[in-house]
Amino acid sequence: MTIRIKVWDLPLRIFHWLLVASVVAAFTTGELGGLLIDWHGRIGLLVLGLLVFRLIWGFIGSSYARFASFFPTPARILVYLKGGWKGHGHNPLGGLSVLALLGILAILVGTGLFANDDIAFEGPLSALVNKDLSDSLTGWHELIFNVLAGLVALHVAAIVFYLKVKKTNLVIPMVTGEKSVPVTEASKLKHAGTVHFVVALAVSGIVVWAIFSGELVHFFQPPQVVVPATTQNW
Amino acid sequence: MKSKLLIALLLTLASSAVLAGKAEDAQIKSRQSAYGFAGWNSAKIKDQVVDHPETYNKDQVIAAANAIAAVANSGLGALYGPGTDQGTGWKQTRLKPEFFEKPEEVKKVATDFNREANELAKVAATGDIGAIKTQFGKLSESCKACHDSFRIKEAR
Repeated sequence: MTIRIKVWDLPLRIFHWLLVASVVAAFTTGELGGLLIDWHGRIGLLVLGLLVFRLIWGFIGSSYARFASFFPTPARILVYLKGGWKGHGHNPLGGLSVLALLGILAILVGTGLFANDDIAFEGPLSALVNKDLSDSLTGWHELIFNVLAGLVALHVAAIVFYLKVKKTNLVIPMVTGEKSVPVTEASKLKHAGTVHFVVALAVSGIVVWAIFSGELVHFFQPPQVVVPATTQNW
Repeated sequence: MKSKLLIALLLTLASSAVLAGKAEDAQIKSRQSAYGFAGWNSAKIKDQVVDHPETYNKDQVIAAANAIAAVANSGLGALYGPGTDQGTGWKQTRLKPEFFEKPEEVKKVATDFNREANELAKVAATGDIGAIKTQFGKLSESCKACHDSFRIKEAR
């Protein structure tokens, strides 16, 4: 007897698809540049918020959202490759790809916060570093995108593989959240409460606000000499 | 006799290396200065026209746009002599060797930059903030086009 369970909770699903949209939008605005570069920066901050949310949710979310449920140790990966994994949610290889994607995105966002484009864009934390370091981090930001592109291609290829070869549609569960499991295993799923969601949302909101508003920069930088409002007349 | 010849040869090589490097480094330094100056003016325009339009000062934006146009019209091509993909101005150059292999594309990005910079100077004179903002966007794209094609991504 099987029963439908919500293997992917709603916050997780919203996170996933928002992230997909954000990454596509960030890539597009970054490539086009011009007046869109400011949107690239704003979307980057959205990705930051999403990543912080996911990090917290990985500890207080529902069972299969938690990192503990899919953390890819070498032992677990071996068991999976030999066909011995019988869980739900991310299998150890899927878990590895999740962590790789989140990690690379974190590096991209992290470097982007300090980046500049020598034209008219400066990352919100670029004031905290000198130009040489900002240039260096910008270089890394641009190069590491290629790694992300590779990982995303791999991710999509895996989904297609599951669809065509394993005849398993992984997209639908990531939309509806539902998966059929044996009745005996349904109770393993523990839901997360609204309180947990609000806490995770609040913390990620505070982090993004601290950066966006300039408060974080003020915190780290000594008080600046106030520049006179009028430009010198020569 | 042989050793004197050898010393003379080595000195000639050494001095030519030093002297040859100097000319390239000077070109690199000048163009880095030019773009840095343009960047300062670009930031001013962005601040007054895009980020904080309540601070818009028509004359300052005109001056900034004229400065960028002056840079664009100053004949920067002369600062991209052969071999200037190697060398150090204020800092090590990030010019890609491809620059010297794709003269058609170089001509395009250079002409686009000139065109957009001159257009921005024209639009700045009208005082129409919306139009200045739009043209500033186009100018930014032309700066980016050359960076994307001919500037090495890793900062040095």
